[in-house]
Amino acid sequence: MPEYAQPDILVSTEWVAEHLTDPRVRIVESDEDRALYVQGHVPGAVEIDWQTDLQDPLQRDYIDRAAFERLCAERGIAKDTTVVFYGDKSNWWACYAFWVFKLYGHADCRIMNGGRKRWGLDGRPWSTERVTHPRTTYAATEQDGSIRALRDEVLRHQKAGRQLLDVRSPEEYRGERMHMPDYPNEGAVRGGHVPGAVNVPWPMNCNDDGTFRSAKELEKLYIRELKMKRRSPTIAYCRIGERSSLTWFVLRYLLGFGNVKNYDGSWLEWGNAVRMPIVRGPEPHGTSAATRAASDACATPPVHA
Amino acid sequence: MRRRLVSEGGRPWTADAAMPEESRDSAGVRVRLDRMVEEFADLDAREKLELLVDFANGLPALPAEYEARKAVEDRRVHECQTPVFLWPEMIPAGGARLVADVAPEAPTVKGFVAVLAEAVAGRPVGEAATLPDDILERMGLVEVLGMMRTGGLRSIVARVRRGFAELARSQA
Repeated sequence: MPEYAQPDILVSTEWVAEHLTDPRVRIVESDEDRALYVQGHVPGAVEIDWQTDLQDPLQRDYIDRAAFERLCAERGIAKDTTVVFYGDKSNWWACYAFWVFKLYGHADCRIMNGGRKRWGLDGRPWSTERVTHPRTTYAATEQDGSIRALRDEVLRHQKAGRQLLDVRSPEEYRGERMHMPDYPNEGAVRGGHVPGAVNVPWPMNCNDDGTFRSAKELEKLYIRELKMKRRSPTIAYCRIGERSSLTWFVLRYLLGFGNVKNYDGSWLEWGNAVRMPIVRGPEPHGTSAATRAASDACATPPVHA
Repeated sequence: MRRRLVSEGGRPWTADAAMPEESRDSAGVRVRLDRMVEEFADLDAREKLELLVDFANGLPALPAEYEARKAVEDRRVHECQTPVFLWPEMIPAGGARLVADVAPEAPTVKGFVAVLAEAVAGRPVGEAATLPDDILERMGLVEVLGMMRTGGLRSIVARVRRGFAELARSQA
């Protein structure tokens, strides 16, 4: 029975319940819906929001090093604190926050396997108290570029034919889900995927109770069926980099991939930028631009009126 | 902060006879929104989210007869990550009613839909079709939720407005 590459990276709800008041441990909730934390959270847990806490309000980027240090200090997180992330949606956002903490070099990060769902299923208590912890001082490192891919690097990676994963839904990957009326802020101009990217929708990493699938199942999917190599450089992307941070976590810590990066710009950047290669359809190399132009010319009515 | 006193799970939908309290309120959509904006305005981020949760708890459960319609009618707001189904309707007495189903794991969305439902309940559909675009700004929710999340909420307003506008046109 294979084990996860780093089994200690996951903690159970039982472990968390036993460490609620451990001063060396800080529990952090990150959700898609912030009101969930308000409705009830793990006792003593602080909230870190992916948008209002971790993203720069002006520039499209993460908060800078100084802001990250302030955030940790305010939440009572010291450099040697064990930070346990959990959240809704099978820990999407928890993995995203985990990834940002790794970006700034926080050593001891864990994920509570199963997140909010498993905590509830296990019948553990929810708290609505306002949580504050004694302030710390925190010194972060510079951003760790080894886990973050920027656009030009993704382009070089794609041209070199290296391992590339698109973790969005099949409809998004094929370029079908594009029509977004009344939704000017979030869409991409073009639909499709990066040529060569293999589609492995993120839910394939998770069980129904929000926990990660077993090492055996994950190995079967990524290593045996998709023939991915642990040593080959790998990049994962989605729409805004959140779902792909979950896949990044799975590859890096549960399967032991040596060099895997999250492309946080993801489709929201790629599908809007000029001259980025795009293909459509179910195959990694999709439909070529020439064929597509021909079929578009014949197509009536137009797909996007 | 004035907590809204509603029971968990919300008020039951009453067919037509006994209208929910806000439907008997003679105030128009704008005035009702102004009142709700006032409730949100001075709260801190945490309190705003708490008030949204209160609104969410007040959204009635989806009537059983609508459950089956989810599968066959185009009622889902596709711009939202979480499942949101909306039925902007006109009740026989002539007023607007927003029936909605929002997944429990999305209390923010649920609370916001409850705000819209309260704003339009019992008003003429033509007036319900004038829901303004700046509700989130005026409630101070943009800063609390961030840009990515408010996009989905804006598309809900647009969808509701469009639904009532269609009803108003068919009535004319």
